Amino acid sequence: MKMSTKGLQLTAVAALLAVTAACGSNGGNDAAGTASQGAAASPAASGSADSAGEKPTLRRLTVWQDQDPNTYPVAQMLEEKTGYKVKYDTLPQDKAADKLNLLMASGEAYDTVHYAADMALYSDYAQKGALTDLTPLIEQYGPNIKKAISQQSMDALKIDGKLYALPSMLTYKVGSSILIRTDWLDKVDMDMPTTTEELKAVLKAFKEQDPGGHGDQDVPLTMNGDNAFLDSIVGAFGMPNTWNDVDGELVPRLLDPSYKDYVGYMADLYKEGLIDNQFVVNKGATTKEKFSSGQAGAIVIHWADIPSIDEALKKNEPNATFAYVGALKGPGGEAGFSGNAGFDRLTFIPKASKHPEDAIKWIDATLEAETFKELAVGEEGVHYTVENGAFMPILPIFNDERNLANNYMSGTDEANYPLYWQARVHKNPVMFEAFDQLNNQQPDEVKISNPLGLAPYMPNYAKYNQQLETMVADYTIKLIAGADSLSGLDAFQAKYKAAGEEASAKEINDWYATAAK
Amino acid sequence: MRSRTLGDRTLDAFTYLVLIAMGLITLLPFANVVSKSVSEEWAIVSGKVGLYPIGFQLDTLRYVVTNSQFLHSLWISALVTVIGTLASLVVTAMTAYPLSKRELPGMGVIIVLFIFTMMFNGGIIPNYLLVRELNLIDHLGALVLPALVSVFNMLVIKSYFESLPASLEESAKLEGARNFTILFRIVLPLSGPVLATIGLFYAVYYWNDYFNPMIYINSTSLKPLQLYLQDIVMNADTSSLNRSAEELMNVPAEGVRAATVIASTIPILLVYPFLQKYFIKGVLIGSVKG
Repeated sequence: MKMSTKGLQLTAVAALLAVTAACGSNGGNDAAGTASQGAAASPAASGSADSAGEKPTLRRLTVWQDQDPNTYPVAQMLEEKTGYKVKYDTLPQDKAADKLNLLMASGEAYDTVHYAADMALYSDYAQKGALTDLTPLIEQYGPNIKKAISQQSMDALKIDGKLYALPSMLTYKVGSSILIRTDWLDKVDMDMPTTTEELKAVLKAFKEQDPGGHGDQDVPLTMNGDNAFLDSIVGAFGMPNTWNDVDGELVPRLLDPSYKDYVGYMADLYKEGLIDNQFVVNKGATTKEKFSSGQAGAIVIHWADIPSIDEALKKNEPNATFAYVGALKGPGGEAGFSGNAGFDRLTFIPKASKHPEDAIKWIDATLEAETFKELAVGEEGVHYTVENGAFMPILPIFNDERNLANNYMSGTDEANYPLYWQARVHKNPVMFEAFDQLNNQQPDEVKISNPLGLAPYMPNYAKYNQQLETMVADYTIKLIAGADSLSGLDAFQAKYKAAGEEASAKEINDWYATAAK
Repeated sequence: MRSRTLGDRTLDAFTYLVLIAMGLITLLPFANVVSKSVSEEWAIVSGKVGLYPIGFQLDTLRYVVTNSQFLHSLWISALVTVIGTLASLVVTAMTAYPLSKRELPGMGVIIVLFIFTMMFNGGIIPNYLLVRELNLIDHLGALVLPALVSVFNMLVIKSYFESLPASLEESAKLEGARNFTILFRIVLPLSGPVLATIGLFYAVYYWNDYFNPMIYINSTSLKPLQLYLQDIVMNADTSSLNRSAEELMNVPAEGVRAATVIASTIPILLVYPFLQKYFIKGVLIGSVKG
């Protein structure tokens, strides 16, 4: 039980799932068995127990956070408002899904589980009978839940007509694009690029006229080797998402007719020295270093990453300014960003819960309009102020007491949450501006929702997806860097199909055909 | 003694220089993390921090060591390390002692059984099921009990015991001492060096163990330091483009990660100097008069 175990790591843990899940599902195993029996018996029996006895302590499993979830101010506030004591446990940051699988498989008696909206995981649990059907519970105990969460959201989560989770809504569509140094644009006397050709011209000017002033050290566009498909550019070639609709069928990027064009464009940029020539070995942190030290003219980055970069860049180059490039138009006139689709987080009640009714009552209490507001943004005058209808955070108390508030939600007040949520983006004016630029100033038609955002669990896709993604990413990087040529594309596509794409595509399109209706 | 020529000495000097340089090279990554932990965030983000800090400040370290979860995890780790090491030492020594006696009946079989567990074990799944059946899930016992005896360490102690002069025990027996008295009053006090070494092995193991806690521990209040550390550090490795805005906005700053690494490495580093003397001092000196 010493060092040897480390090598096996979580693959083995994941395998453990299979074994213990088998134990749990046939009900013979003690922990899982008794727990699910308890849950099954409860709708009839525990109604009286609940009303007569005092409120039990609920157990909630939530995502990782760097503060103790039990002492974080929101926990106390919720305890006062709901009257329920809750003991919070967190999943690890790394390999959270494996640990969750382990806990679910071994029948840990959590009353609520709050996790990323991983539809595959969710539908898998639901189909294995690991989750409690919420519909009757909400009918009986959930007036606030019904008010807060739209029917449409609930319908999107139904599996075989039953609802097993409550969604936290997504609050924005677009995450990242190319961030470009606007002061460099001014220096080379060019406008913000709107097409891929203009972008290339701008990068060329960055290279030739050296507006950064570091000579050869400067790179026009920095990128990293983990990210072969640059947002905005890949959208200009009609492939904003990993699978895109081509004539009514979903097709992965590698098999997309535009794949060659995208790779050709990128390889050309690389050949002309417009992309960081070290991009293959760059990590995300390296690209941020280059941009924030003033040595890169452009970077692909999420708007939520901007505060740290902005602070560093202002220190290094006080006159630096930047803005996002919008959705670039490609040679075929296409343009688009990958749009978030589906949900942000899901909260469910495992079958193993000992207090499913109290759990739903607790959730209902947290979704009561005023309680939810206080959960999300705190108290007016203490944590936030309202300016022109926008919620502005009061710092630093908002950071200390509400930053992690979303981890305490089990569903969201869908009419109001987007407004509350923007208080977080307002924490940093530069970040808000970037967010606003991508999400509010870009026309809706370029925010192309990820068609797989609401896809259910598909065994082959779940099994092969990661491996396929890695294959394509590695291959694309090689092509861009000129280490491989497009002449081998057919052979590689065949290999890719055989490595699981064919099986995945069938599942995906079978589902897509029914979902598109 | 052969007199040393100039050539010899030059060679020595050269050897020392090379070895010292190589030793220093191993310190470079450490120096980098130390520098990051006391540098300002903007300098870290823009990649300016190398071997020495830029914009020296101690706020990050202070933030880390006053974080209640860090302190709590530190306490759990210290507890597990101290209790685990003591328990392991006692049990391992008590296992090794009888096995160091050649007259023990069936010793060959017992040793083979022990060594068998070194080569083969049930693996993670049976272990998990066992720990679950013992009701040790989410219990600190799950961190100590499975690792209580390392056969390798036991064999090291055993061979050390065998090297102790038999005459010592014989004379103790003549004075009327029983086996337990001999073990605890004579053999163990004479085994300072090996116990210190093995104790250090165990301490480092318990301190560094993150795998068992990752599997067996669920409560935030029972998470040891390594698990906390892993959570903090792992943040950095996931590609930022795949993550939600919420997570990105709450990612611990690079400086905080470096400071957490430093703050959690120092306690176990402090143990080494205290054990050092046992490695140097020969305890046997004077115990057997010629």
